[in-house]
Amino acid sequence: MVTTISKGSETTMGGIDAALKPRLRLRTPTEYAGWVLSILVGLGILASVLTNPNFKWGIVGKYFFAESILRGLVLTVFLTVASMALGTLLGLALAVMRASHVKPVSIAAGLYLTLFRGTPVLVQLIFWFNISALYPDLRIGIPFTDIGTAVDTNAIMGPITAALVGLTLNQAAYMAEIIRGGFSAVGKGQIEAADSLGMSAGMRMRKVIIPQAMPSIIPATGNQFIGMFKETSLVSVLGVAELLQSAQLIYARTYETIPLLIVASLWYLVMTLLLSYPQAQLEKRYSRATSTLPRKAKRVAQPEGAAR
Amino acid sequence: MSTDGTIHARGIRKSFGHKTVLQNIDLDVASGEVCCIIGPSGSGKSTLLRCINGLETVDLGVLQVNGETFGYHETETAYHALSKKKLAEQRTRVGMVFQQFNLFPNMTAQENVMSGPVLVKGQDKKKAAARADELLASVGLDGHGFKYPAQLSGGQQQRVAIARSLAMDPEIMLFDEPTSALDPEKVGEVLAVMKDLAKKGMTMVVVTHEMGFAREVSDSLLFMDEGFVVERGDAREVLGNPKEARTRSFLEKVL
Repeated sequence: MVTTISKGSETTMGGIDAALKPRLRLRTPTEYAGWVLSILVGLGILASVLTNPNFKWGIVGKYFFAESILRGLVLTVFLTVASMALGTLLGLALAVMRASHVKPVSIAAGLYLTLFRGTPVLVQLIFWFNISALYPDLRIGIPFTDIGTAVDTNAIMGPITAALVGLTLNQAAYMAEIIRGGFSAVGKGQIEAADSLGMSAGMRMRKVIIPQAMPSIIPATGNQFIGMFKETSLVSVLGVAELLQSAQLIYARTYETIPLLIVASLWYLVMTLLLSYPQAQLEKRYSRATSTLPRKAKRVAQPEGAAR
Repeated sequence: MSTDGTIHARGIRKSFGHKTVLQNIDLDVASGEVCCIIGPSGSGKSTLLRCINGLETVDLGVLQVNGETFGYHETETAYHALSKKKLAEQRTRVGMVFQQFNLFPNMTAQENVMSGPVLVKGQDKKKAAARADELLASVGLDGHGFKYPAQLSGGQQQRVAIARSLAMDPEIMLFDEPTSALDPEKVGEVLAVMKDLAKKGMTMVVVTHEMGFAREVSDSLLFMDEGFVVERGDAREVLGNPKEARTRSFLEKVL
């Protein structure tokens, strides 16, 4: 049937088989204008970047793999990973506390969230760095008794510790909100079904609520992770030699401010792009919870998620 | 005589805030009996059912399930709420099937059915899996165990939900409008499974709008309205020859 039609049209029209002719998209003048304008602006910026000698690309290249920069990068990565891991754990605890039926527990978590989300993280960082002004000695022991030991706060709260504590406690508040949002997206019926089977609260949390909350928690956590990577630059004010501070230390000496800021920026950019890949993988993995595919079915190739 | 599979309620009252949803309800279900509860929406029939599984707590009255006071232990002066562990134990003996199925979407059909025995009773996974396959076959879902709920039709999901409840070996099964969320053509397959279960002697309390099922399968029938039991008795008797005017006007509308 099909062949007769295409044969017929071939003879009448000649050239390409009518059924196989490509279908062309409508192109408007606005589209062409958009192309031209974007290319012109892009070329202009590129020319300026390449010809302006103040960018000093040679110096950027020279310092890109400098040892102190790389050491700063390692510290930045460490601070990001450590504060995200600890912050997520603490955030999970806070989210569970927030949902507690025991009023004082849920109020305590609520106060924490208000306090740490309501003040700037930069202020919090400086606050933790200067905590010894508030508590010169850190006592570990039982309140209102003499049992326990005291340590000099300054000895413990060095710049890196203060940075870690500040970032973690702040991150925990944001993670708690993300996790709580994920929990509340799990329907009431799921909780009732788990209860009617006689599941304990802990079992219900681990086997029913958390797996279903993951698809909404994971992408948001990925964003937080990437955000945290850039947020670590704030701890440079404490004199922690992370990526930004390492760059600053160099340009304080050489006055090559812009090239070194470019070095730092490029590293932030590279790392952010690298981090968006595992995030896309995690998102894919956890989307299985609502998957309609059989467990062992081959996954259909999906377009790569756009880098953040 | 064994009290397994029996429900006895006397003077059950339940309010949500100022709204009283259950007013002085008495209910007796003998072992192996099928009791259907019918009535307009908001009549308290679902709430009554949920009390028997502990999804709601009763405010006043005596509720005995499987011969035990449900959710509480009685002393001379008061009813004391049971520990969560004890309550969970009582609940495992009462299966619940929901209108919206409430299967766990992160688990396959087989894992759903296994979830109770493995997670709650700590049963061996292999044994539980074999049992789950048996149960799935018994509700006509042989070979569907590897599928996720989202890949199953509503009727299939509800049958998995029934199998999941049965996996706990309950003495009593509660059904809360089990066919109300289904396509009309899928209702039959779920009712067939329930009929089969009734034939095997399971004690069942069914909140339903399926009058045909009520007439055919149930031993006793309750008609509820505004928190009261308006009429009760033999199912065919109540449906065929209702004594109360309220029952008559309801049945005229639904039949």
